[in-house]
Amino acid sequence: MRSFERANLILGLGAVGMAVLVACVWVPADVTTGMIEKVRRQITIGDALAPTLAAGFIGFGGLIVAVFERPENARRISARNLQFLAIFLIIVAIGFAVMRWLGPAVAGLLTDQGYRALRDTAPWKYIGFLVGAAGIVAALIGLVEGRLTLRGILVGLAAAIGLIVVYDLPFEDLLLPPNGDV
Amino acid sequence: MKRFLRAAVTAVGLTALATGALASDWTPPGPIKLMIAFKAGGGADTQARLIAEDLEAKLGWKFIPEQVTGKGGMNLAMAIKDQPNDGSVIGIVVTETLGYNMKVANAGVAPSDFTAITTTAGFQMGVVSLSSKGWATFDDMIAAAKAGSLRFGAMSPKLADLAYLLGKAQGVDFNIVNVKGGKGVMNGVNAGDLDLGFMAGIQGKGVAAGDLVNLASALSEPLKQTPDAPTFADLGVPFSADGYFLIIGPGGMPTEARDALAAAVGEVVSTEGTKSNGMISKAFGGAAVIAGDDAQALVQSDFEAAGALLQAASE
Amino acid sequence: MGWFDYVWMGILAVFQGPEMFSILGLAIPVTIVMILMGFLMGVAVGATPGLAGPMAMAVALPILISIFGFTPDALLPVMGFLLGIMKGATIGGAVPAILFNTPGTPDAFMTTLDGYPMTKAGQARKALRVAHFSSASGDTFSDIVLIFCAPFLAVVVERYLDLPEKTALLILSLAFIAAVIGGSVGKGLISLGLGLLAAYVGTGEDFYPRLSMGSQTLAQGFPIAAVVLGVLILGEVFKSIEELWQENRKSGALAVVEQSGDQRLHWADIKRLLPYISRSAVIGTAIGALPGIGSTLAATLGYTTGRAAHARKGRSPAFGQGAPEGIAATEAANSSVSGANLIPVLSLGIPGNAAAVFLILAADSIGGFNPGPSVFRFTGDQVNPEMVIAFGLFTCMMIANLLNWTIGGAFMRSMGFMSRIPKHILLPVVLLLTLTSIYVQETRMVAIWFTIGFGVLGYLMRRLGISPLPFVIAYILGGKLEESARQAFAATGGDAWFLFSSSVSIAFMALTVLVVTLSLRKPKEART
Repeated sequence: MRSFERANLILGLGAVGMAVLVACVWVPADVTTGMIEKVRRQITIGDALAPTLAAGFIGFGGLIVAVFERPENARRISARNLQFLAIFLIIVAIGFAVMRWLGPAVAGLLTDQGYRALRDTAPWKYIGFLVGAAGIVAALIGLVEGRLTLRGILVGLAAAIGLIVVYDLPFEDLLLPPNGDV
Repeated sequence: MKRFLRAAVTAVGLTALATGALASDWTPPGPIKLMIAFKAGGGADTQARLIAEDLEAKLGWKFIPEQVTGKGGMNLAMAIKDQPNDGSVIGIVVTETLGYNMKVANAGVAPSDFTAITTTAGFQMGVVSLSSKGWATFDDMIAAAKAGSLRFGAMSPKLADLAYLLGKAQGVDFNIVNVKGGKGVMNGVNAGDLDLGFMAGIQGKGVAAGDLVNLASALSEPLKQTPDAPTFADLGVPFSADGYFLIIGPGGMPTEARDALAAAVGEVVSTEGTKSNGMISKAFGGAAVIAGDDAQALVQSDFEAAGALLQAASE
Repeated sequence: MGWFDYVWMGILAVFQGPEMFSILGLAIPVTIVMILMGFLMGVAVGATPGLAGPMAMAVALPILISIFGFTPDALLPVMGFLLGIMKGATIGGAVPAILFNTPGTPDAFMTTLDGYPMTKAGQARKALRVAHFSSASGDTFSDIVLIFCAPFLAVVVERYLDLPEKTALLILSLAFIAAVIGGSVGKGLISLGLGLLAAYVGTGEDFYPRLSMGSQTLAQGFPIAAVVLGVLILGEVFKSIEELWQENRKSGALAVVEQSGDQRLHWADIKRLLPYISRSAVIGTAIGALPGIGSTLAATLGYTTGRAAHARKGRSPAFGQGAPEGIAATEAANSSVSGANLIPVLSLGIPGNAAAVFLILAADSIGGFNPGPSVFRFTGDQVNPEMVIAFGLFTCMMIANLLNWTIGGAFMRSMGFMSRIPKHILLPVVLLLTLTSIYVQETRMVAIWFTIGFGVLGYLMRRLGISPLPFVIAYILGGKLEESARQAFAATGGDAWFLFSSSVSIAFMALTVLVVTLSLRKPKEART
């Protein structure tokens, strides 16, 4: 129970710390005008005022949480939450990396002109998206079911094909990932 | 320089046709990404999209429009700078972007890092107020400003400088309010939040209907709609808000690509009956095409002249 | 040009807009077709546990914009579709709540309390009919209030509020949202501050894009769709997938109960339900008109006041044991939030819930319509196109209501099968859909990474009991707040006390302090 009571204290102090960092380090270092500026003989509000106020809200909120709001049932982030988040992000990161680089890699191996020239030509433009998208969906379904299943892969492929049908086939000026980046 | 440019504008039809014939073999290497420095739905954005539509219909080129807004076009400039310069990426900004804004931003770039392709239309920049304010002329407004500070809406730092110099020349202090876009100035003036402000063509309908009044022309020449309004030069301000919409590309674009793009755009905006021409005639008083080296020279001279305005406004 | 000219032009804008096709020489306007499609999609989405209206709106938006383009003509069909989804999802949420004891949308939780017992008693179809009738009544009532209130409120704001007062009003709204959503002021303020901070990255008046750490990627700020979809949609998807992962999915077979008896809704039933419906409709509308308090609270309040009245009369069955009155009290309350929620959107430009956020997102992406007081401005003899659009939207809402009353009930009752789609298959597909639609809008991979980043933020906020809605609303209003403060400051000639320069702005600021201190006094832990 004790750790739960402390959850809001930690959150509140964390928010206060973040607010101090933003207001005293980030804003002064990364904003070129001050809180108040004098331009054309007129006093105007500078670019630093609004972000400093935003930091003020974060800090004030953190203080309230740390001092006044300490219920026993406070929410907190568990190690298991972080474990899930890590697995999840790894799956998504690998999926989108495949989506981004698979097409150019295949085109680089098999053709002379490279992917950029082919980014608007089927089937090249679909390679990365199809594999990456289906992979992400199948892996996430597999994560919940505890194993990779054929059904998961089929659902992933169907979803990817569905998106191609919805976005790519009818609209000439829409680009599926990663074709706007290459 | 100015005189020469005006001659260039007048001769637009000829130039466009001539270069069109010369560079007609160039075709874009795939779809062209068209970056737009203006908020979706405004007049400037509509103009860009209509030009793309006209070109798609006429030449079969394919455009992919994309909004890259903010910082008076500087965000677009920084984004387009390192794109391929084969004509597959172009952007639409205002001449002020490569002139005053690029000078003040001091972001380590100069107009020579970009290829000026062509202008499409000029601004009909007026100093505008509600006619219900009861000011029939510029002098009426100044009389009111002497009685109590007026709120003057400006949609860019350059215009704020000009408003300041205007007040200084006339011996009044305006409370200069920075507003987003001509639409913002118009809304502020209509709602009574602002007393007067700059509008670059959006005031046309309201002035025609008698709801708004052009008190002065912020250009070096009189406004087409209200030729009697004094110009900034008449009012003692040695600077003007002359400016154009400008299509640019990354620096070092091959002349062939640049001229083909310029010719194609110049032709659709100045051919009667196209969508873009209709829109430009209504909103910006007709096409104004300055292409290629002339356009490059125009922004270069704006860039160099920005220092003088900055200097004057900081005194 | 008077009010009635605009009302008429708004109606014409819907009916005489571009036609989709014609049946027997009768032209069918595209806007009406879009409202219908949005409505049907909304019912289906609402009836699917794990999906919600905002998700459907998020995914549909880029497709709609590419179909209709960036012209003012696109506004009514696109926003009509979104309004259709919003309304459809509201009634759809009751379907799985009644049939399977699983709320399709969070605000339908209270519907399970009496809906499922009715199903177990063999009265499922009747329960659905009660839900539909109450929902449609509440919704229609709320829309009528909206249509009469929004324009007048906007006119008052525009006529009597100057730049300093407008700034003070924005501050009050933000403070109210932070204090009220979720039940913890401290966490609300953290959420609000983070949202503002996100809005200030890359923006500002100086040419150097502030807080961009010198990177060109951050110089344009975060794409609005990445922030909104990341925090609202992905955060929820992450959280739900994790819950499934931890439960390892119980695939309990649903018991099918034999349905029997009279399933129809009689006039006598309606007479008995009407007091509950009207009470809840008023509660829901009042709550909806305040930005930030969602339909879940409205449903809870509607249900509890209904229960109190029911207990006084001593009727049976009691609430919680299959009373149709319980369904009516809940559904009328949560459905009457949606219309009233557009009052602050259209008259002040302040969104109050996720659906309103998406309508603003649509207007912002298409352009030509800026929700706020300037929408309802008379411009002499010229037509104010934004006001025509506003009345066009009202017409769309009325058409959606008509659809709801006519085909909504039957369609809703046919959607029971949607709840059989397993959530753990649906959610990864929703994730993919959302990220792909972001890419299609932004065409750069970095937008996907931003969205995932904000999704992680939304997930962490949910886990910590911090409501993500103040974040999103602050993000949307942050630019406006800074801009209006700057303008007010400049317009008053650099008066540092501009927020306290008139009695109206002093009143707004006093209310701000009051709202925050009052909610400080009763800290509860948040329900997200």
